[in-house]
Amino acid sequence: MPSTAAQIMQNVVLPGDPIPSHTGDDTTIKLGPGLTQDQDVITSMKAGVLNHLEGSNRWWVESNQQRYIPATGESVIGIVCGRLTEGFKVDIGAAQQALLPYLAFEGVTKKSRPNFLVGALVYARLSLANKDMEPELECVNPATGKADGFGELKGGFVFKCSLGLSRRFGPLLRYRVWVTSTNGCIPPNILVLIFVRPFRNTSLMDENTPILRFLAEQQIPFEITIGRNGRVWITSGSAKTTIMLANTLQNSEYLNERECREMVRKLMTMQ
Amino acid sequence: MTIRPDRRTEPTQLRPFSSSQNLLNRCDGSAQFQFDKTAVLVSITGPTEVKFRDEKLDRASLEVIVRPLTGLSSTKERVLENVMRSTFANVILTGLHPRTSIQIVAQVMKDDGCVSVGSAAINATTMALLDAGIPMNALVGSVTCMVGKEDGEILMDPTMEELSRARSIHTFAFDSASRTSVMMDENGGKGTSGGVVLYSESTGDFTEDEWWLYKA
Repeated sequence: MPSTAAQIMQNVVLPGDPIPSHTGDDTTIKLGPGLTQDQDVITSMKAGVLNHLEGSNRWWVESNQQRYIPATGESVIGIVCGRLTEGFKVDIGAAQQALLPYLAFEGVTKKSRPNFLVGALVYARLSLANKDMEPELECVNPATGKADGFGELKGGFVFKCSLGLSRRFGPLLRYRVWVTSTNGCIPPNILVLIFVRPFRNTSLMDENTPILRFLAEQQIPFEITIGRNGRVWITSGSAKTTIMLANTLQNSEYLNERECREMVRKLMTMQ
Repeated sequence: MTIRPDRRTEPTQLRPFSSSQNLLNRCDGSAQFQFDKTAVLVSITGPTEVKFRDEKLDRASLEVIVRPLTGLSSTKERVLENVMRSTFANVILTGLHPRTSIQIVAQVMKDDGCVSVGSAAINATTMALLDAGIPMNALVGSVTCMVGKEDGEILMDPTMEELSRARSIHTFAFDSASRTSVMMDENGGKGTSGGVVLYSESTGDFTEDEWWLYKA
């Protein structure tokens, strides 16, 4: 068993593997995704990389999959499948369809309910996710009562990616990228990233996923919304650019930073 | 040193096996497992919507479909479906996804007539479940072995030629070696040194004592 923290950090585990947590002493440990407790032993139930956060003594398994398992607080992209008396039925790619109540919108009253057609795309937050219950969505930030970027996504293009890739796009989930005009007060050729939905960490410079930064550097205006359920919505000035961006993001999954940069450079010369 | 018909040198040696994951893009997980000229491709969908008829309130229902190399599925495939369902029901943590369905579809891709299709299907399913990220409490490994008619020698993963000299044929599935103590005591130490036996199928002429020996 590797002894140093750095080695444990990069530990690959398979289902059934015991986790070398300090079970003997009194410290509390927190188990995240992919781990389960069976009496005194903590075992992994997924294949992935075991992660450990020293300070709070958290352990979890970082793994990748296609099928979405709803979790409270995550933002997802759903497709409206039908209307019931109390809300919309929304397909979020999970085992069950989620319910989006008519009253879970900003400033909505019983008289002014949102009118989404079947097939509409919505960007929403999971307000309730429980394995025994049907998931529930809301299009409002519970902290502020504002829409904060949640709501219908009009136009654009949606593609599916693995849950791991959608997570690696960073904590920020929805943003617009455009280049300022030369007569604006901001100097020319400086990118302005408008964060439609403010989040704790507003950094596009995610170390794991430099692809968004590279695309932004190409000065193509685009808007992207990432659902944690592996759905990514993207729109830009033209269909050609949108498809190019979508393909680039999909192909970036198994590329490192240098390869991502090279791919973006090649695509730009082809345009 | 014995030399087996396909130039393997040890009775415990397996044919060259290989596995590749994530071959299909429209399901949640897939894998192919191959023992030389026997190959099975498995796709996993789930946890997904469940038919009302199959819905279980406290766990996911496991659906296994085995498709033969050619033609329609027959009793042989039904047997394997049942075997796989009961084997993996013990391993998949179905309680984590109640009222859903996990569908396992195994397609035989190559079959050279050895009885190892079942073993390959079980191994491929394990790999596909890993790929799909379905929570499990162990991995499953399966292998087929035979006992020779004349010498009583145990040969692992026999070929067609060797099978013609078989007295009995045994297929076992074990879970990964994390918990070994379950079988050890009750049979005078003849239990396995690996994992727990999840499935065993034997055909031919053998006694109970021999079975415990082969299993080890």
